[in-house]
Amino acid sequence: MIKRILTLTVLMVTLLIGSTAFATLKVGVLSDLTGPTSSVGVPYAQGVKDCIAYVNANGGVNGEDIKLIQVDYAYNVQQALAAYKRFKSQGIVALQGWGTGDTEALVRFVSRDRIPVFSASYSAHLMDPKKAPYNFTIAPDYSTQGRAGLKYIKDSWKEDRAPRLAFVYPDKPYGHVPLKAMKEYAKELGFEITGDEVLGLKAMDATPQLLALKRQNPDFVWVGGTTPSTAVMMKDAKKLGFNGKFLVNIWGNDENLAKMAGAACEGNFGMQAAAVYGQDVPGMKMIEEQTKGQPKMTHYLRGFVSTMVMVEGMKQAAANGKVTGQSIKEALESMRDYDPMGLAPAISYFPGDHRPSMAVNVCTVKDGKLEFLETVSLPRDDKWLGK
Amino acid sequence: MQKCGLFFTTYNSEDQLFPSTFQKTCLGLFMAAMLAAPCVLDFYYISVMNLIMIAVIGAVSLNLLTGVCGQMSLGHGAFVGVGAYGCAFLATKGLPFLFCLLGGGAMAAIAGMIFGIPSLRLKGIYLAISTLAAQLILEYVFLHWTSFTGGANGMPVDSPEIFGFMFDTDEKMFYLIFAITSVCVLGVSNIVRSRSGRAFVAIRDFYQSAENVGVNLFQYKLQAFATSSFMAGIAGGLWAYYTMYITPEQFSIGLSISYLAMIIIGGMGSVLGSIFGAIFITLLPEVLNIATSMLETMAPEASAMAAPLKEGVFGLTLVLFLIFEPEGLVRKWKLIKAYWKLYPFAY
Repeated sequence: MIKRILTLTVLMVTLLIGSTAFATLKVGVLSDLTGPTSSVGVPYAQGVKDCIAYVNANGGVNGEDIKLIQVDYAYNVQQALAAYKRFKSQGIVALQGWGTGDTEALVRFVSRDRIPVFSASYSAHLMDPKKAPYNFTIAPDYSTQGRAGLKYIKDSWKEDRAPRLAFVYPDKPYGHVPLKAMKEYAKELGFEITGDEVLGLKAMDATPQLLALKRQNPDFVWVGGTTPSTAVMMKDAKKLGFNGKFLVNIWGNDENLAKMAGAACEGNFGMQAAAVYGQDVPGMKMIEEQTKGQPKMTHYLRGFVSTMVMVEGMKQAAANGKVTGQSIKEALESMRDYDPMGLAPAISYFPGDHRPSMAVNVCTVKDGKLEFLETVSLPRDDKWLGK
Repeated sequence: MQKCGLFFTTYNSEDQLFPSTFQKTCLGLFMAAMLAAPCVLDFYYISVMNLIMIAVIGAVSLNLLTGVCGQMSLGHGAFVGVGAYGCAFLATKGLPFLFCLLGGGAMAAIAGMIFGIPSLRLKGIYLAISTLAAQLILEYVFLHWTSFTGGANGMPVDSPEIFGFMFDTDEKMFYLIFAITSVCVLGVSNIVRSRSGRAFVAIRDFYQSAENVGVNLFQYKLQAFATSSFMAGIAGGLWAYYTMYITPEQFSIGLSISYLAMIIIGGMGSVLGSIFGAIFITLLPEVLNIATSMLETMAPEASAMAAPLKEGVFGLTLVLFLIFEPEGLVRKWKLIKAYWKLYPFAY
């Protein structure tokens, strides 16, 4: 029995080592497949994997296949740290990261090891190469997203008086990060800010917050939560006869919102960075082929685009010489208006500015489906970098 | 190996940490192996060992408070956070590493003492809720006291430097963390055998009897909170220096529960148990991850289905441990030692 177990163990270890020994371009994928953000982490990770499969099936990078090494870190920073070391020991040249906690915890490690990271954490300070030189994203920072959303609703405002604006967010770093920037910009645009309310990410009831909001009577409410808390907010708003419109942050506005909130979410606004499945853009044919026509969440498309941009950087690095973390970073920083086939706004990175673009997609829910409305573009203003 | 039966003729000899030459030799070999580890092991293993050693300091310190003194705490993760932020704040002022580390520990000790004051009136589950309040309050402070903690954006920390020598790799950090962990473990082992340690045990076993024999409950309970939080602060400081970037999310209630799981799995009231618990809890997700990776190599479809089971396996392992070895890993270790000592006789 012991002999069998030993033989099996040796076989498994050989397979594991053997499977990664021959691939030259290795990329780590840090995913939350089982943790608190897994509902969006799973489709995002699938997008990453499918993009790599697509790239490998279409010639790879300069003829070389990309080998993914995926670790499910369950949104635990300590596990993310250990996973990163495992990736590094296996010789990755780039990393597809995930959440805010782990991306921030790894900022200085990846800078020291010169490994570019694409993550789905959009804190503004991660866009500043002075603070995070090896961090990249394909979505503008939360502050830029918020500013674009504010510009959209201000542009569509027809009344003579200033529109009233309230903020609802969880008392977590994710909720707080864009607040200051948004409030400053809202004042600049001429909004009247009525106040703030705190709503936890696991809230089951938003009545107290909505009663307070009814007293403030805002025309618009920025919601900085995730889909479940946003759905609770919208359902309670409908129940209590609250008339304001909601403007939802990127993680609170996806295909699940209609499933959770039903008709209550119709007609509100939300920010997104990638296209919605089925949207009329050139790249959708490729996505539909890759997914065999099975609709996917917008997070899937974001994971796909994040990998497309990374691969483009790798291809550029290969064309310039050897593919290393440093050469990928340099290639990315020379990227100008790279169009991911319309699946996201065109992307440019600069040595002193890692904001991918200043364009944000505004979406709404119509007849139970997430729909793209408009792309709002802001100027690439230096005073906003990192803030 | 120790002889069968008690042959001590003085209290001092009975009270030794390592009473036999065999134990001293084993310890020497273990220390030598640890010192040689960075030269032979891949840096992935070294980084996992670093994480384990930081967890050991946290677990040993919580065991001193909860296992030895009987004061339940659900706020240990936040005290670790106070140490980390304290350390990072002092480091931004340009102070030397050791001063920052001790300063962070001192700040955590003060926080621990403040939140330990209710322990005079509260015990058991009531004290647990009071320390849970400490956790929530401190998490709020980490997020909102922006000038001290950097708020939602967190705080960068530079690698430690002692007399011009930078600890900027996993291997160098290994020696630093190993040295500090050894001091902490030795410190707690000695506290347990001291007058304070005996007072802690008396309070844990029955506080009224302890008071009747002259133990000042308030003083010793606060002392337990202060010492435990000080070491938690040291663990936090090392974490900050090791990860080089701290955010409020890193010191959530999950960390407190994780430390509690370590001492329950390892063995309450035992220094060795805390070490076993820290190793177990830190390694289990790694082992599960490696197992999932192996499964993925062989059967990608099965792996997709097995991934969500991972969290369940983690929970199940903990439950099975509590059912089959409620006194923790340290009890298992004692049984193994006894087996070899008595071999080939069963008793």
